[in-house]
Amino acid sequence: MTSAVTITRHGGTGGRTAVAARARQVVKAYGSGETRVVALDHVDVDIARGQFTAIMGPSGSGKSTLMHCLAGLDTVTSGQIYLDETEITGLKDKKLTRLRRDRVGFIFQAFNLLPTLNALENITLPMDIAGRKPDKEWLARVVETVGLSDRLKHRPTQLSGGQQQRVAVARALAARPEIIFGDEPTGNLDSRAGAEVLGFLRRSVDELGQTIVMVTHDPVAASYADRVLYLADGRIVDEMHKPTAEAVLDRMKDFDARGRTS
Amino acid sequence: MTVMKTSMRNFFAHKGRMALSAVAVLLSVAFVCGTLVFTDTMSTTFDKLFAATSSDVTVSAKGASDSGETTSDNGRPPVMPATVLTKVREAQGVKTAEGTVFSTSVTVVDADKDSLSPSGGGPTIVGSWNGNDARTMKITSGAAPKNSGQVMVDQDTVDKHHLKLGDEIGVISAIGTHTAKISGVAAFEVTNPGAAIFYLDTKTAQETLVGRTGVFTNVNVTAASGVTDAQLKKNVAAELGGGYKVQTAKETADANQKDVEGFMNVMKYAMLGFAGIAFLVGIFLIINTFSMLVAQRTREIGLMRAVGSSRGQVNRSVLVEALLLGVFGSVLGVGAGVGLAVGLMKLMGSLGIHLSTSDLTIAWTTPVVGLLLGVVVTVLAAWLPARRAGKVSPMAALRDAGAPADAKAGRVRALVGTVLTAGGGYALYLASAADKAKEGSLWLGLGVVLSLIGFVVIGPLLAGGVVRVLGALVLRMFGPIGRLAERNALRNPRRTGATGAALMIGLALVACLAVVGSSMVASATDELDKTVGTDFIVQSDSGQLVTPAAVKAMKDTPGLAHVTEYKIARADYTTPDGKTLKDTDITAADPTYASDLRTKTVAGKLADAYKPDSMSVHEKFAKAHGVHLGSKIKVAFKDGATAELTVRAITSSDVVIDAGSKYMSIATLAKYVPADKMPLDQLVFANAKDGQQDAAYKSLKSALHDYPQYTVRDQTDYKEAFKDQIGQLLNMIYGLLALAIIVAILGVVNTLALSVVERTREIGLMRAIGLSRRQLRRMIRMESVVIALFGALLGLGLGMGWGATAQKLLALEGLKVLDIPWPTIIAVFIGSAFVGLFAALIPAFRAGRMNVLNAIATE
Repeated sequence: MTSAVTITRHGGTGGRTAVAARARQVVKAYGSGETRVVALDHVDVDIARGQFTAIMGPSGSGKSTLMHCLAGLDTVTSGQIYLDETEITGLKDKKLTRLRRDRVGFIFQAFNLLPTLNALENITLPMDIAGRKPDKEWLARVVETVGLSDRLKHRPTQLSGGQQQRVAVARALAARPEIIFGDEPTGNLDSRAGAEVLGFLRRSVDELGQTIVMVTHDPVAASYADRVLYLADGRIVDEMHKPTAEAVLDRMKDFDARGRTS
Repeated sequence: MTVMKTSMRNFFAHKGRMALSAVAVLLSVAFVCGTLVFTDTMSTTFDKLFAATSSDVTVSAKGASDSGETTSDNGRPPVMPATVLTKVREAQGVKTAEGTVFSTSVTVVDADKDSLSPSGGGPTIVGSWNGNDARTMKITSGAAPKNSGQVMVDQDTVDKHHLKLGDEIGVISAIGTHTAKISGVAAFEVTNPGAAIFYLDTKTAQETLVGRTGVFTNVNVTAASGVTDAQLKKNVAAELGGGYKVQTAKETADANQKDVEGFMNVMKYAMLGFAGIAFLVGIFLIINTFSMLVAQRTREIGLMRAVGSSRGQVNRSVLVEALLLGVFGSVLGVGAGVGLAVGLMKLMGSLGIHLSTSDLTIAWTTPVVGLLLGVVVTVLAAWLPARRAGKVSPMAALRDAGAPADAKAGRVRALVGTVLTAGGGYALYLASAADKAKEGSLWLGLGVVLSLIGFVVIGPLLAGGVVRVLGALVLRMFGPIGRLAERNALRNPRRTGATGAALMIGLALVACLAVVGSSMVASATDELDKTVGTDFIVQSDSGQLVTPAAVKAMKDTPGLAHVTEYKIARADYTTPDGKTLKDTDITAADPTYASDLRTKTVAGKLADAYKPDSMSVHEKFAKAHGVHLGSKIKVAFKDGATAELTVRAITSSDVVIDAGSKYMSIATLAKYVPADKMPLDQLVFANAKDGQQDAAYKSLKSALHDYPQYTVRDQTDYKEAFKDQIGQLLNMIYGLLALAIIVAILGVVNTLALSVVERTREIGLMRAIGLSRRQLRRMIRMESVVIALFGALLGLGLGMGWGATAQKLLALEGLKVLDIPWPTIIAVFIGSAFVGLFAALIPAFRAGRMNVLNAIATE
């Protein structure tokens, strides 16, 4: 199974499509000839709007590459990627940058914040770069949601790891992007701080209607998602809706065992 | 051994990051070696020349200088009677002896009356063609002069002025103008650095240069075989008795060499001084490089400490890297230095000083000095960063890498910097308040050094405030990108401070000299306006005296109210207090000089000093020697009789032009000094009849057309000429300072380039969340501009302070007007912003080209 196209493109919610992003026959290969390595092998995927999607898979499965390609950070070898109705494959750097700035939010595993800016400045940075004024009410709500009201003037070095990731979440939410990509956003946190951050992500989907795609290898993190996609060897091999941590773990053990026998 | 291995690996792994430091070392070393090679080559050239042109023993008149320089106040060379030659021939061990006549108090013109004198400051020599010259010169075409209608010219002058056989040439001396046609061309067999030489036959040379026959300026003696020069000198001196100067070839050559050495040493030490400034600036660059490399490698160093490296080993590993850098940069620098020397020789060639690459002299000391200097300076500069590396705790290996923490400038730094700056400021204040120039200049020197070091130390602290202000003024208009740039510049004040300080040094010197130069022009203009009443000033810019024929031409010019001659005579004074002052100047001028230059008097009227047997002295002289109005002073004129002159005026000592002069009339001088010993005019002043200024100016110029060595200037020309002269001097110094400024710019490039590397992840993050390439480049450019402006602001402020202090101090010497050249200062400030933009070109380009994904993934 190399496809995860199960959502109708036009849902019931007004004019906007129900699909926030989609990949069609995406191939990503490195090198050529004998040293050619295929990271993504004809992947089709639809990311549902207003949902929390987790991408899982063992190291080297291509999960990060898929996310980078969907987010317009990386180029594909062939195939198309659409963000809403915009095809982003083939866009020049200038347009891609603007697209990331205006329509995409990011949360990285570490080093999410500029050390020279305080928390609030980091949160509003994408809008500052774009020269847009942040929506004050929305900003207050986001800050409130991630519980940072009393930390806004702090520099990143004065914040704990969990707080730093919460600032990153707030930054991603503040600009109201169409879609947020997280690259193991809780990978560097202890379980309590991780749970906190994942809780915020969940709430932003439930309460704010945000679309989120998260790469993770942690079954507990994946259990916060609405849908889990499994990648192996550059292909989508399975998916799971309404996952629980146990179910995810079981499924992964399954893959592991299959991997060993084959 | 492991220390060596890690150092080598680090050095080669980061060779890109070291590149600019290596260039800084290279440039400084190249400048030092280039200067040494160049001046040594010049030395060799002159050595060869003088060794070739000196005869075994030379006899000259007592009044001649050791190097045989043949000028004197009356425009005629000191001569000996021809009988000397006969006597010399009788001395034991003489093979040949030949009398010659030479003078450098001459100007030579072509048929169009354009000067054929060298432009590079070399002498114009006219003399008799003789056996000694025939030894070192080869006649390349035509023949030696045989009668008064012929002249032989050296090859270089012929080539430069496109002369050919048969062309008419005029020799202008104190005696008059002699014309002859070119009969031959002779070329030196050694390199002739820049003299123009014209040969006449002996009789014509005597008549043209001295005005009579039967006299010689030199007798060239060659030794019979087996007789040493020293023995020959002894024999000749014994034969002649006293009264003549007798020198061996070596003594003559040494004396000549000493003459040019003075000039060469000034050039050498000035250039080495500027190389020193470049080194100083380079130190900041090297310190910054190693500090940043150590900061970037903190985790790695922590790991090495964790697995058991000692502090000393870590410390040494950094120093070994510095050593490698020093050796690498210096070796290239020595090579580049030789190239630079050849370039300088070419440049001098275009200025009229010829040097040949066949004389290229590389003393063994040159590469040694270059290497030592380069290596020692580099290792010393890396000392502090190396110590800091040694202090890295093993725990650093475990901490997050990330961007290095803000290096806060410490309290000790603030204290030391403030104390030094305040001390410097106080020394500058003392210098400006000093009433003795010598004492004041010591304070000035101390103040300059202390305030400079103070600013360097306090720079990182000032960086915070200054960058914020600059940010508010310049960057805020660029919105959030400007703010990011400002924050980046503020992030490591020590680094920003050191980078700015490097630029500060060069610009401080520029500002200081600009203020002093502009104050000099303003003061001179002010003084001219206040005191000079004459319309026209005539003088020779190459230091030739004004010949009687030229003076006559001026006096015959229509439209002039009067012409004032101005001579300097030398005399021994005996003052009323019984003391005798030996060989002291006295100004002899026409009485009209009292109105040409309005010198204030403190007693008596200046016009009275021009009465017969009268003179004036200045106030300080009067006080020192108990001279009053009516005092009598015994004046024994050189080459003349002794007069008793009455003091009829005492002039103020607080003057700029002619400071310290005593005045008398030419008529009085003529009473005591015979006509042929009268000194020639130094300057001639002329006043136009009322309303005929323009016409008189034109006719005076055309009257002097035949004498291209003199320039006629009205007051406006004179001010312009002075301004140009100062401007040229300043431009030359700015040119030399450019080296230090280039190194400082490299420093800015270096800091930015290393910062970009250091901030790879940050840049990746910003690009990921939507910072465009253009915005990223702009951010880096603005950071660069702010650093450059910070350095410029500090440097210009400091330099203007120095300049103003120097003016206050030099007010004692006549620098009375402080003039701050705002256009220059503002241009330098704005120029610094462009320097910043320029410095950011490559770092910004490289940052823009970074791959976003790789940047994010970088550890």
